[in-house]
Amino acid sequence: MNFFRRFLKQKMITPIIFILLFSMSFLTGSFSSLVTGYVDILKSPSVLISDYLYIGGFGATMFNVSTIMLINIIMLNRLKMKMTGPMFAGLFTIAGFSFFGKNIFNTIPIYIGIYLYANYQRLDFKSFMIVVLFSTGISPIVSFLIFGTGWPLYIGIPVGFIVGVITGFVLPALSAHTTRFHKGYNLYNIGFAMGIMSMVYSAILRAFDFDFFLGGPTSEVYHNELFLLTVAMSLIFIISAFVEDKEVLKKYPKLLNSSGRLVSDFIRDYGRAPTMLNVGLLGLISLLFLMILGIEINGPVMGGILTVMGFGAFGKHVKNVIPVMTGAVLATLVSPVYSLDAVGMSIAVLFVTALAPIAGRFGFFVGVLAGFIHIIITPLAYEFQGGFDLYNNGFAAGFVAAMLVPFLEAITKNGKEEEAG
Amino acid sequence: MNKLEMRIISKIIRELSLFHLLHGHADFTLRTKINEEETAFITTSERLKDEALKTVKEKIERERELEVETYGWELIGDIDDKSELEIVGHLIDELKIENTDTQTTLTFIRKNQYKKKTKA
Repeated sequence: MNFFRRFLKQKMITPIIFILLFSMSFLTGSFSSLVTGYVDILKSPSVLISDYLYIGGFGATMFNVSTIMLINIIMLNRLKMKMTGPMFAGLFTIAGFSFFGKNIFNTIPIYIGIYLYANYQRLDFKSFMIVVLFSTGISPIVSFLIFGTGWPLYIGIPVGFIVGVITGFVLPALSAHTTRFHKGYNLYNIGFAMGIMSMVYSAILRAFDFDFFLGGPTSEVYHNELFLLTVAMSLIFIISAFVEDKEVLKKYPKLLNSSGRLVSDFIRDYGRAPTMLNVGLLGLISLLFLMILGIEINGPVMGGILTVMGFGAFGKHVKNVIPVMTGAVLATLVSPVYSLDAVGMSIAVLFVTALAPIAGRFGFFVGVLAGFIHIIITPLAYEFQGGFDLYNNGFAAGFVAAMLVPFLEAITKNGKEEEAG
Repeated sequence: MNKLEMRIISKIIRELSLFHLLHGHADFTLRTKINEEETAFITTSERLKDEALKTVKEKIERERELEVETYGWELIGDIDDKSELEIVGHLIDELKIENTDTQTTLTFIRKNQYKKKTKA
C-alpha cells in the first residue's frame, strides 16, 4: 500500500488521470463504434483544426488520448525518468493535443528521428525527453503526407514516415536555439520551432499546389462530460496537494512569485504539493473563463485546458495566466474582425498562457498587452505556418515575446536592480 | 571535450560574470579549472550579502537535470536580474562557499557527464 501511495506521489498521480481518461472511453457508444471511430482518427489528415471528437466520437477520442498518454508514461518509466515539471507538462500536452491532431500513427516517426539525433550526438535519448514529449505537435505533417495528398499508400506511407523522422532529427537543435529568440518568455518554445518547420513544409506544398487547409468542424456535443472530467481532475489534484502536505497553502505564495520563464520546474523548485494545487487551480480557472465567455468545450478547447493544467508544473500559475487571458478576451471584444465564436479564437484564450512569464516578470498590465497582441497575431501565424504545427499559439507567442521582451528588459533593468540591491 | 560542452562552459562563465556585475561587483575574478572529470568555476568577489548567498545556495544546490540542460542551455548567460540563476542551477552538480569578513569565494563544480558517450 505504501509502495502504491509512493508511486502515485512520485508520478504526480498521472496514473490516476490515465485510468480516469481510459475508463471514459467506454462511457458512451458500443465497442464497435469505438473501433470504427479510432480507425477514422488514425486515417484523418489531422491538420489544424481536426477535432477528433467530431471525427471519431467520444469513446474513440478518449481511447486515443489515454493510450497515447499510457505509451508515454511507460516510456518515461522504462527510461527511469523522474516526473519533473517539464515531464508532467509534456504528458498533459500530449493528452490535450490527442483530442485534435495527435495519434499513435503520426507521432512514432518523430520519436524515431529524435532517437537517431541522440545517437548521432552520442547522448542519452532521455536527455532529449523534453523535446520528445513536445515534438509531436508537428505530427500532422506525417498524417497529411499519408492521407491528405491523395497519393497511393505505398508512396504516402514511406514519404510521411521519412519526413517525420527528418523532422524529429532536426527539432532538438532547432528548439534549443529558438529559446534565444524570445529569451525563454514563450513557454511553447517547441511550438515556435515547429512553426518554422511547418512554414517550410507548407511553402513546399504550396509550390506544388497542394490544398492543406483541411481543418473541419468541431463537436460541442460532449461539453458536459468534458466539463465534469475537468472538474474531477482539478479536484483530484487539489485534494492530493492537501493530502500530501497540510501546509501547502503557506508554501503556495512562493510559487506565485516565480516569473515562470523557461526553464522553470515547479516540482523541483517548490515541491509536489504546491505544484499539484497550482495544477488543480489552473484547471478550475480555465473552466471559469470558459463559463464567463460562454465557450463550450470541444476537442481543441479540451486540449487547451489540459495544456494549461500541465504547464502548471512548468511555468504557469494563477497570478501570471490571468493577465494574458484577460488581454486575449479584451482583444476579441474590441476587434470587429475577431470573435470568440471562431474556434481559433476560443482556444487562443487558453493557449495565450504561453506568454504567462511576461506577466510574471513585467506585471499585470504588460501581461494584458501581451495577451492582446497575441490574439491579433495568432490568425496570421496560422496562415503563415499552414497548420502542420498544432502549437500555432506557440508560434504566434514566439513573435509576441520577441517583440516585447528586449524593450521591456531595457526599460525595467535599472528599477529591478535597485529593488534587489 | 565535445563542442557542446565547450559552449555550455562558456555560457556558464558569461552567466556567473553577469551575476557579479548585477550585484555591483566592480572587482571580481572568475577562474576555471577543466579536466576530464569535471569543470570548476571559481569566483572571488567582495563579500556577498547573506540574502544573496541564500539565493545562490537555493538555486544551485538542486539536482542536475540533463533533459533541461539539452533543452535550455542556450538561455544561460541571459539573466536579467540578480536572483535569476535557475537555469545554471540545472547544470551545476556542486557548490562550495567560502566566506571571510571581506570576500566570498564560490566554487561551482560541473561533472563531465558526456565523456563516456562522446568523442574527444
